[in-house]
Amino acid sequence: MITFQNVSFSYEKGVFVVEDLNFTIQKGETVGLIGANGAGKSTIMKLLLGLLAGTGEIRVDDLPVCKENLARIRRKVGFVLQDSDNQMFMPTVYEDMIFGPRNYGLTREEADKRVDEVLHSLGLTELKHRYNHKISGGEKRMAAIATILAMEPEVILMDEPSTALDPVNRRTVINTINRLPQTKLIASHDLDMILDTCQRVILLSHGHIAADGDAQTILRDEALLEANRMELPLCLQPARK
Amino acid sequence: MDKLSQAQSELREMDALAAEDSPVHRLHPLCKLLVTIFYIATVVSFPKYDLTGLVVMVLYPVLLFQAAGISVGLCFYRLRVVLPLVCAVGLANPFLDRTALLQLGNITVSGGVVSMVTLMLKGVFSLMASFLLIATTPIDSLCAALRKLHIPSILTTLLLLTYRYIGLMLKEVSVMSQAYALRAPGQKGIHISAWGSFLGQLLLRSMDRAQELYGSMRLRGFNGAFEYARVPRCRLSGVLFTIGCGAAFFCARYVNIAGLLGSLIVR
Amino acid sequence: MHMADALLAPAVAATMYAASAVTVGASVKTLRKDEATAKLPTMSVTSALVFAGQMINYTIPGTGSSGHLCGGMMLSALLGPQAGFLSMVVILTIQCLFFADGGLLALGANCWNMAFYGCFVGYYLLWRPIMRSKLFGKLGTKAAGRIKIVLASILGCVITLQLGAFSVVLETSLSGITELPFGAFVGIMQPIHLAIGLIEGLITSAVLVFVYEARPELLMDVSCDNGVSGRCSLRTTLVVLAAAVVVVGGGLSLLASSNPDGLEWSLFGNTEAGYSQNMGLDEESYGVSSGAAEAAESIQEKTAFLPDYAFANSDSAAGTTVSGLVGSAVVAGAAVLICAAGGFFRKKKAAAKA
Repeated sequence: MITFQNVSFSYEKGVFVVEDLNFTIQKGETVGLIGANGAGKSTIMKLLLGLLAGTGEIRVDDLPVCKENLARIRRKVGFVLQDSDNQMFMPTVYEDMIFGPRNYGLTREEADKRVDEVLHSLGLTELKHRYNHKISGGEKRMAAIATILAMEPEVILMDEPSTALDPVNRRTVINTINRLPQTKLIASHDLDMILDTCQRVILLSHGHIAADGDAQTILRDEALLEANRMELPLCLQPARK
Repeated sequence: MDKLSQAQSELREMDALAAEDSPVHRLHPLCKLLVTIFYIATVVSFPKYDLTGLVVMVLYPVLLFQAAGISVGLCFYRLRVVLPLVCAVGLANPFLDRTALLQLGNITVSGGVVSMVTLMLKGVFSLMASFLLIATTPIDSLCAALRKLHIPSILTTLLLLTYRYIGLMLKEVSVMSQAYALRAPGQKGIHISAWGSFLGQLLLRSMDRAQELYGSMRLRGFNGAFEYARVPRCRLSGVLFTIGCGAAFFCARYVNIAGLLGSLIVR
Repeated sequence: MHMADALLAPAVAATMYAASAVTVGASVKTLRKDEATAKLPTMSVTSALVFAGQMINYTIPGTGSSGHLCGGMMLSALLGPQAGFLSMVVILTIQCLFFADGGLLALGANCWNMAFYGCFVGYYLLWRPIMRSKLFGKLGTKAAGRIKIVLASILGCVITLQLGAFSVVLETSLSGITELPFGAFVGIMQPIHLAIGLIEGLITSAVLVFVYEARPELLMDVSCDNGVSGRCSLRTTLVVLAAAVVVVGGGLSLLASSNPDGLEWSLFGNTEAGYSQNMGLDEESYGVSSGAAEAAESIQEKTAFLPDYAFANSDSAAGTTVSGLVGSAVVAGAAVLICAAGGFFRKKKAAAKA
């Protein structure tokens, strides 16, 4: 579904943010992207979406990411931003949700139908006509996910989906992620959440892949995590006195 | 920094008022906008000595405030913004215009006093009318009305987007101000050494935010078009309201209703 | 400086609406559609920020009072005049609708007084010529840029505020609202806004210099290289000079009025302090209110035929300020003429060469 082949990117000449990345993500996989601040997590997502242009080859569903394909790629790939306020710029949730579908040529009726389906499946029907500046942080995060789902993407990218949420809202988001059948790539420092949602983890360090493999194996490898400015997920830490 | 939290709470309050439901809320936004503008224009057009003619105009906002279920008192603390300049300009009138206009027993009322009061009433009335408009009409409906008047869509979209981010920015600025005040006790504002960086930092951050915002628009196929919820069609009630109010204002402007009423009683 | 509905006659309000509407139309047209849509997020976030930023109190050293940011100059320096104007219009609309700051009918006038002058006059007459000029070039690019920003912001704020204040007086007087003679009203409004303009200019320049240091590419007309031609350097110098003449002329003629029977400078000094303390209440009006009342009293005591006050008693501050401004306007006009003539001859020369 997603392949990165020899991908590098730098803002300044010679200083690579990510360098020579190679990995493949299969259809339906849920992959956690972890690594210290500045390890290159967001850069990978932006490269994948064509918001940044690097060297090497990135393919989504066998479609190379390049200027000509951007519209098709972005239709397949949805991106849930870290700050939901940046994602929800229309006055109401409903208007935000039809924004994408309408831009991709759906009629108003089709878009309306999708909005209702998505809201219903997430149990958010009462949010539909609420104002974006008046809903709570947890509701906003769920609504942001809904605006992306309304575009019916095949791949969903999420940047820190669990930050700044209370435990109940965080759990709702985790359950929602687990219910979504799409291919997912989740960047986060919340290792417990990664453990709960992902089968596979890619650990980044200074723009390189330090480890790539089964989530349970990597997230239990204390030495590996600590070498990369991480620690064991709380639920795996031995009980402390 | 009080101003910031005050602005936040005023915005919240207006939002809450506009979200309520009443016959006035349900009127078509375009009708309300037109009537409000016509009302203010009528009020302002009264001659400066025509205090008695003007007084009748108070009926419109008072009636509609009641119909909308909003207390008139709510809008009065906003007068603090409007009244100072109006008073400043009006206060000179009693000194400068001493033509006797009225004789009330032993007291002579000069033209200046009358024109001052008229001016202040004009200020109060027009404030009441615009408060009523925005307290019963959410901003997105208002923008829909503006689009019907062929206001360029760039402007209405910009208005909605800005309104969307004003609450956020107020919050960020007030959080920063609080953080500043906590480390600078006894300072009333931002010290000269931080004049540039205080807002500058926030400005740089906002530019990044704008970039991210634009990114999130493009990712969803943005091509310049924004689409908003549909506003229901104008119904008969709206048309009747507009025509009725228009006729009433017109009458009040050219017939001295208060005078007529008075002459019925005093003869 | 926000005008209330009550201060305007419908005809004046309609005229100002028309003027502002034409400017909006022209701005929308000038901004190409793709450019405008790409700029929309930046415009909205920046205007929201400027809106909030105008509520920050900046303490003025040594006075215990505070000043505020000048929105128009700031926005046109960041977004360009057209986008800046549209953003200011939106800010003013929101202030009018949600905060009762200026009336619905007066919106057209307010857009003109604050947004038009701040964005278009401030940008085309001051910001762009100064920033593109080679002034202070000897000090190195970075230092020169800093000085030019400070100069452009202060001159821009002072001049656009003077124009705005003058328009407020003009509009109110044309509406026949106040009995206050035109000259006296001008004499009160202009010097108050001179002080405000200076402080707003300083604050605005501080923010812009910060942006210049951190991310110069965000500012309009700031060249990161030295490739800009010195074509307009003479014209720039003249514009700057003309602007300085207006400022200094207005200030000097006011100082000249410190004769005992005029409106004393100290009166303005006092109202200014009071005004600043009441910033939280409303910016301009407090100074005007007490100033107007006292001015009115002193006029009442002394003069018999009031309407001709400013001209009959031309020793007063009002008279001198008016004459000072008129003189400055003549000089400024002459400067513009000289510029135009110079440009004409240069063009001819270039054509002859070719």
